[in-house]
Amino acid sequence: MADPRRVASNSEISGVSVTGLSKGYGLGGHLRALDDFTHEFPAGQCTVLLGPSGCGKTTVLRSIAGLITPDSGRIAIGSTIAFDAAAGIRIPPEKRHLGMVFQSYALWPHLSVTENVGYPLAASGLSKAEIQSKVEAMLEWIGLSGMGGRYVHELSGGQQQRVSLGRAIVGNPRAILFDEPLSNLDARLRERMRIELLALRQRAPFTSIYVTHDQLEAMTLGDRVVVMRAGRIEQVGTPEEVYKRPRTRFAADFMGIPNLIEGTVRTIAPDAIAVDTVLGTLPTRGWRANWHIGDRCTIALRPTLIAFATSRKADSRSGRVIRSVFQGTSTIHVIEIAGTAIAIESFSEERHNDGVEVAVTPVAGAIFALLDD
Amino acid sequence: MTESGRAGTGAPRVRRGSSDWDHALFSVIVAAAVVMVSYPVVLVFLRSVSTGDIGSPLTLEWLRALADSGRSRDALINTAIYTVASSAFAMVLGVGLSFLSARTDMPGRKLLGLMAVLPILVPPFILVVGWVALGDPNAGLINITASSLMGARTIAVNVNTMAGLIWMTGLFLTPYVYLLVAAGFRNSDPAMEEAARVSGASRLRLLTTVILPLQRPALLAALLLVVIMSAGDFIIPSTVGLKARIYMLPSLIWQNSNSFPARPGLAAAQSMLLVVIGLVCIYFQRRALQKGGRYTLLGGKGANPSLFSLGQLRYPLAAIAFLFALCSSVLPILAVSAMAFMRFWAPYALKPENLTLRNFRYMLFEYPQVWPSAQHSVLLAVLGATLCVLLAVVLAWYVIRMRGRFSGLVEYAMVIPLGVPGIALGVGILSLWILVPGGIYGTLWILLLAYVTAYIPVAIQFVSSALHRIHTDLEDASRVSGRSLLSTIRLVNLPLMRPALIGSWLLVYVVILREISLVILLYNPSTIVLSVGLMDVWGSGFYPELAVYSLLLMVLGLVPVALLSRVAKFSAD
Repeated sequence: MADPRRVASNSEISGVSVTGLSKGYGLGGHLRALDDFTHEFPAGQCTVLLGPSGCGKTTVLRSIAGLITPDSGRIAIGSTIAFDAAAGIRIPPEKRHLGMVFQSYALWPHLSVTENVGYPLAASGLSKAEIQSKVEAMLEWIGLSGMGGRYVHELSGGQQQRVSLGRAIVGNPRAILFDEPLSNLDARLRERMRIELLALRQRAPFTSIYVTHDQLEAMTLGDRVVVMRAGRIEQVGTPEEVYKRPRTRFAADFMGIPNLIEGTVRTIAPDAIAVDTVLGTLPTRGWRANWHIGDRCTIALRPTLIAFATSRKADSRSGRVIRSVFQGTSTIHVIEIAGTAIAIESFSEERHNDGVEVAVTPVAGAIFALLDD
Repeated sequence: MTESGRAGTGAPRVRRGSSDWDHALFSVIVAAAVVMVSYPVVLVFLRSVSTGDIGSPLTLEWLRALADSGRSRDALINTAIYTVASSAFAMVLGVGLSFLSARTDMPGRKLLGLMAVLPILVPPFILVVGWVALGDPNAGLINITASSLMGARTIAVNVNTMAGLIWMTGLFLTPYVYLLVAAGFRNSDPAMEEAARVSGASRLRLLTTVILPLQRPALLAALLLVVIMSAGDFIIPSTVGLKARIYMLPSLIWQNSNSFPARPGLAAAQSMLLVVIGLVCIYFQRRALQKGGRYTLLGGKGANPSLFSLGQLRYPLAAIAFLFALCSSVLPILAVSAMAFMRFWAPYALKPENLTLRNFRYMLFEYPQVWPSAQHSVLLAVLGATLCVLLAVVLAWYVIRMRGRFSGLVEYAMVIPLGVPGIALGVGILSLWILVPGGIYGTLWILLLAYVTAYIPVAIQFVSSALHRIHTDLEDASRVSGRSLLSTIRLVNLPLMRPALIGSWLLVYVVILREISLVILLYNPSTIVLSVGLMDVWGSGFYPELAVYSLLLMVLGLVPVALLSRVAKFSAD
């Protein structure tokens, strides 16, 4: 396997720094796609922008690429200022030395695979021989050796995806932007491409900014995850932090936690806050500092961190099964406890009839997420 | 909060990342094009209310003369009769042929579809000369045949009548109706019709309650198109029409501008009348086509609409359909060809001993006007088509991609030439450039300007629909890969739009070659073009030579079509 750094010689990996980026649509810009967005994208790392459609994640990406012009703010790629609204600086996309992988692949149907991959090299004015050797190395690297003469419509979806990846990398860009690159693929292929992308990053570290609405992609691919909502940052953290300790109701919901229950702060220790809930007193950890004993609060319960049994245990709360839904590897049980419906995921083959009385306990050692809002 | 407040007021306008220079370049070209298509209409109006050239004192004299003059009134009435009747004829024939070829089990329906659009490639002059050869009361082939059959002199058909004019114009307009309507018939969703059948509709009910109403926007658009084309038609009224002494507005405008004493003010007032009719029609046509959006049908994949069985009527209807199709292209071409080989054109002249190649030798090698006019025409058609396509790319990019501040205005301006008849456009262009001393009046440039003004909208329709089909990601990927906007257009957009670009180039080339009403007021003897030369020969009355000349026009138009048609795309939808 060719070394990517030979493919992309004199590598110049840059971080991307975005400050105070805003972008409005509509009359007078009153619809805010992006509202004072500030974030440092560290060099050599993969940062995932995660959020539902319309949250502004694609606007950030396209602003960095130079494909749209924000209303205000500043974008620096490495030491170069690519955009500064106040100073009137706006470097066009072709001069930003970036690579981009599009959701639609955006491969040119009138060009062969070789011409598609070699396009950024030709644009940078390399000689034909240099272009040819680099394209061949890249084709080998993405596993498409010998397919250079083909046209896009002669390739499978996964192969097209790789050509578009090769095109983004071949020019040795300062950063690579991914705009939901896997969402056009079917579930099985998406899984495989995700693993390939991961392997790619291990072989050649490059700065990447990855936009997706899929939390699984965010967890597996990101060094850092930026959860976005309505043009603003909701939470920044490692995948583990965002997964285990979502900061807000929105983040918890987006990270796939269906159970948000009310409680009251009981005790405050440096590493954990105990909260009284319908499930008893639960150990929690949050982000906000200024909690007081007796405060009302909301905690997020991941369905895998609660267990139940038909036999009564000490310290358990009793509940009633409303329904059980078999979903393959696990079963989701909806259980009502003191008027609150809570979803619990269990991996046993056990089924329960509706209305059965059960005893509910938190999983031993589990620490729950105390939300800011 | 302060951040967003500042952004709201001092925000730079968004321009999809194109650099300011590109934008400025595009804006200048677009502004020039908008001025180019809109000033003739303004000038026609100004000229119609000015005593002399533009800039002289204003007067209502010409508008009053328009109302008072008996000839104007007669011409208006004639134009109305001619327009209504030939439009109705073209609609019935066009809709009928398209329904028969798209939705019935008529024998030979595929061939009929081809023959129905063939006349678009045939210059209207061929139709005129061909039908004179067939239907002249004295020497027309049909009348000679009828006379010999009856044993006495019989005039079965006479093209030198209002009915004859309507017949020729109707045949000329039919393919345009066919094109607009046939696609809708072919693509209609079988499920809608099946639903109607399951709901208990008979086949006739199905036709009147589902199939035709679904085509209403296309039918209305076709109707308005043929009304504009027939009201502004110049060739037929000013050849056979003048011979039959049936005056219509376009031919009267020509006479008032050209004959002595010229009355350009009256010509402008008469043009104004045509402009108003045309612009009203184009307004309603655009509206019909826009409303058509909600009727847009996406047929299932590969689903062919069910065919109506004609039963006993299959063969009689096929015979009638093919007869009409023959009348509009094959018969006139054959008649013109026969005429081209005749030593002279008179009753009973079509005999072997009267056949000759002399007409070809004379017209192609000795007639002084033929090569200059052919050279001018081909040069103008090539330059004009190229300019139209290039400008169309810039205009379409400005409207669709840059979404510039004035893109709405540009879209409106670019339909103006569709509603303004060629002769009126000519009056407007003349009014301006005749005033520029030592300028372009009397040069080939003014003809080029006129052609480009008139045919930009045609090219824009093709180019816009091709550009709409290109995903913007393909352009963005090129920009991110290091190519500037202009390089991206050159390397990505133009290659992807090539079939549509070639198709629109060919169409504009062919129509420029045959166009006459635009340039009849703008040419001078040193800038004569083929179509004007044909008019001269028509005036001299040497029909066999006229036949050779019009065949030359047709062949020059067909050569690039034959060469390029395999790589072209002709539909604009």
